[in-house]
Amino acid sequence: MITLKRDRRLQGAVVVCAALLLVPLAVHDTFYLRVLTEAIMWIGLALAFDALAGYTGYLNFGHQAFFGIGAYTTAVLMMKSGWPFFLAVAAGGVAAAIGALIIGLPTLRLRGTYFAIATWALARAIQQLALVTNLVGGPGGIRLTAYLNPVYFFYVMLGVVAAIFFVLWFLLERAPFGLKLKAIREDQDSAKALGLNPTLLKNLAFILSAVPTALIGGVFAYWITYIDPGSTLGDLVSDQALVMVIFGGMGTLIGPAIGAVLIFGFKTLFWTYLAAYEVLYTIVLGGVIALTVVFLPNGVLGLFYRSRRGRNAPSLLRPKTGMPEPSGKEA
Amino acid sequence: MLQLPQAVIDGIMLGSIYIIVGIAFSLVFGVLHIIDFAVGEWIMLGAFAGMYLNLWTRLDPFLLLPVVFIVFAALGYLLQPVIHRVLSGVRGNPLLMGIVFTFGLTLIFQGSAQTAFGFKTHSIPSRFSNGSFDFEHGDFFLTFSTVRIAGLMYAAVITAALNYLLKHTNFGLGVRALAQRKEIAGLMGVDGRRTTGLVFALYTGISAMTGVVIGTVLSVSFRMGPEYSIFAFFVVVLAGMGYLAGVPAAALLLGILQSFFLVYANPTYTLLAMFGVLYLILLVSPRGLFRKGM
Amino acid sequence: MAEPILRVERVSKAFGGLTAVNDVSFEMNRGEILGLIGPNGAGKTTLFNVISGYYRPTHGRVFFNGRDISHKPPYYLAARGIGRTFQVVKPFAGLTVLENITIASFLKHPRRAQAEAHAWKVLEFTGLADRAKIQAASLTLAGRKRLEISKALALEPTFLLLDEVVAGLNPTEADRTIELILKVRDQGITILIVEHIMRVIMGISDRLVVLNFGMKIAEGSPAQVAADPGVIKAYLGEEQE
Repeated sequence: MITLKRDRRLQGAVVVCAALLLVPLAVHDTFYLRVLTEAIMWIGLALAFDALAGYTGYLNFGHQAFFGIGAYTTAVLMMKSGWPFFLAVAAGGVAAAIGALIIGLPTLRLRGTYFAIATWALARAIQQLALVTNLVGGPGGIRLTAYLNPVYFFYVMLGVVAAIFFVLWFLLERAPFGLKLKAIREDQDSAKALGLNPTLLKNLAFILSAVPTALIGGVFAYWITYIDPGSTLGDLVSDQALVMVIFGGMGTLIGPAIGAVLIFGFKTLFWTYLAAYEVLYTIVLGGVIALTVVFLPNGVLGLFYRSRRGRNAPSLLRPKTGMPEPSGKEA
Repeated sequence: MLQLPQAVIDGIMLGSIYIIVGIAFSLVFGVLHIIDFAVGEWIMLGAFAGMYLNLWTRLDPFLLLPVVFIVFAALGYLLQPVIHRVLSGVRGNPLLMGIVFTFGLTLIFQGSAQTAFGFKTHSIPSRFSNGSFDFEHGDFFLTFSTVRIAGLMYAAVITAALNYLLKHTNFGLGVRALAQRKEIAGLMGVDGRRTTGLVFALYTGISAMTGVVIGTVLSVSFRMGPEYSIFAFFVVVLAGMGYLAGVPAAALLLGILQSFFLVYANPTYTLLAMFGVLYLILLVSPRGLFRKGM
Repeated sequence: MAEPILRVERVSKAFGGLTAVNDVSFEMNRGEILGLIGPNGAGKTTLFNVISGYYRPTHGRVFFNGRDISHKPPYYLAARGIGRTFQVVKPFAGLTVLENITIASFLKHPRRAQAEAHAWKVLEFTGLADRAKIQAASLTLAGRKRLEISKALALEPTFLLLDEVVAGLNPTEADRTIELILKVRDQGITILIVEHIMRVIMGISDRLVVLNFGMKIAEGSPAQVAADPGVIKAYLGEEQE
């Protein structure tokens, strides 16, 4: 791919990943390693959320369901059936893909508002289900065999999230797929007239959002060694992912990554110094969402790439194409 | 089997309250075209307001209804310009941004309630709380708890008032015009901004007021928000989004469903069952039972 | 006689109690320009939507190159070579003009680089190349109408449905659009066009079909149709350009 070299954002991402590879050599304090591992995890979750939300305009308010499916599938397979770690995580991904199809096929035909309600309701239902089903441990959750190796998990998480980033980057920013999704987001009827099948594309995007989330959930389960409906199927996962994506800038992948780092950084500081005011955290999250929507509709990234070309500019970062620019002026 | 009629009666009385929730929510959707994720939170805040006012003034919650209405209607009227700004298409999809915004509000309200009011569940005491009318005919025994009857009365009064407002006043005409054709309504002299502001104020006021009633008839806790949001979604999707005439049937159905679960099955499964039904409805007939939704 | 490229056979479309299109039949030959005219509300756009797969006919069938396309979705028809514009233009507002056309080009050019190359060619053909990197939302109405046509052309269709592509333009812009349409026809593309502006549609159509209240009331050359008493009556009181 000749254009790979010229894409500065991709180069930036490669540099960041390479730098992160070296982190465990410099950082020996396990606390900081764990914090960084979690930060990387949230980047991955934000990216996966953006894959659907930013490119199709469909907001999955039940994003945590896939995180939980991945976590629980991995936990159950490892503890009850003795599966090895990576295989169990992969199985979680498959389960999420199936789940996405089941949920997506009926609901993605509908408009965004219905999808938002349906996913919100379904995720809470799944959480309730996990609370009452003994197979998955009910409210007590599942305890996994502890494998306490922070460096190992740092690399696993980094590997998974980096892979997610590059796959999503390729599919959504370089390949036709991403543009097709944006077409459907902008005007579905027009997209249909151009040969695009909206239902098919939306479902593919949904799967593309669900599977990475589940993979991350699976890694999370083994890393944390204990999961329960509250931590893996609770609101906090999707609430935070939503904030990170909106705050960072929807539909750009880079934006959500930046948003994830900023929000997670804030969260860590908050919990370190203001742990007594934990309930305030929800209020702050809500405030950030509300204020971002009102004042920063294109997120933090929007501040950097102020568009000169018109008010509606969700697609702020156009890929370099390698084609010669025309000599004409922009109107 | 003797429980069946009682369950139905209780269901209808519960459902009548849900009618109000559904009408207000559907009205906001019809005019502002947003799904207010925070609908359950307005109810919750109203319930807490009613509870504290009752504690401080010792007045019966039903007497406090107008106060709560005015306070929350004012809040809604003040908030509406912000919502208008969000919905004015600064980004590609204003409707979705509207949902995200109200979702943010939900978090703010929930967090605030948890901070201010703590974890306990309460119930607002009322003069009506402990009475009941009993009806006996041989083995047939029905109880009509007075507080639930009061709730039913409330629902009847508000429904009648809203019906009058929408069908027999100029304001209502403006609202209906706005719901159908925003641009043309403007040309006909309907002040879009003001009417929209008033509709939203009406919605927040009514939702909060209904919260007081719910707090009296059932209970109040900071956790009740999402539950009533689900109820509101359920009723409105079942009725058809924006189709007000379908709300009574849908709300009563919900009330009866909830009642049956309380009597015959484990109430924990009520929410699960509701999600299931909601999902199936969206699958089969997303425009609602009557196929008149938007 | 070669198989007509389009055959509309007794098509009706009803919405509840309202019959928008009532038992309409006509054929189109390869390479011709057929104008569809009629007073407001005559059912022209509804008929368009039936032909292009957005509505299913209540009765009747539509054949394209001999194949029944009555119940096929729009994206299927696009792949078969049918392109269309929308009366109320539908650009992908948040994307650039180039991206708009690139998306349309994916149909015949699945890979990104080739699709963009093709998009540039289309932009040259329709005269939008100088505005390629602008947000579609920033175009003037004339630009958007031109973008609309460009998107349809990027599909490399054999058959094009144009819905009021001239309405709302000033005379200079209108003339340029007419030039474009004729250029398209010269490429061998068959065109079905709906237009209110009489001088335009009378001028470029080989034949006309006239609808009124959903029914076909006349068909023939522009001269024949202009002289038809039924047509004159239908337009009585209507402004004509």
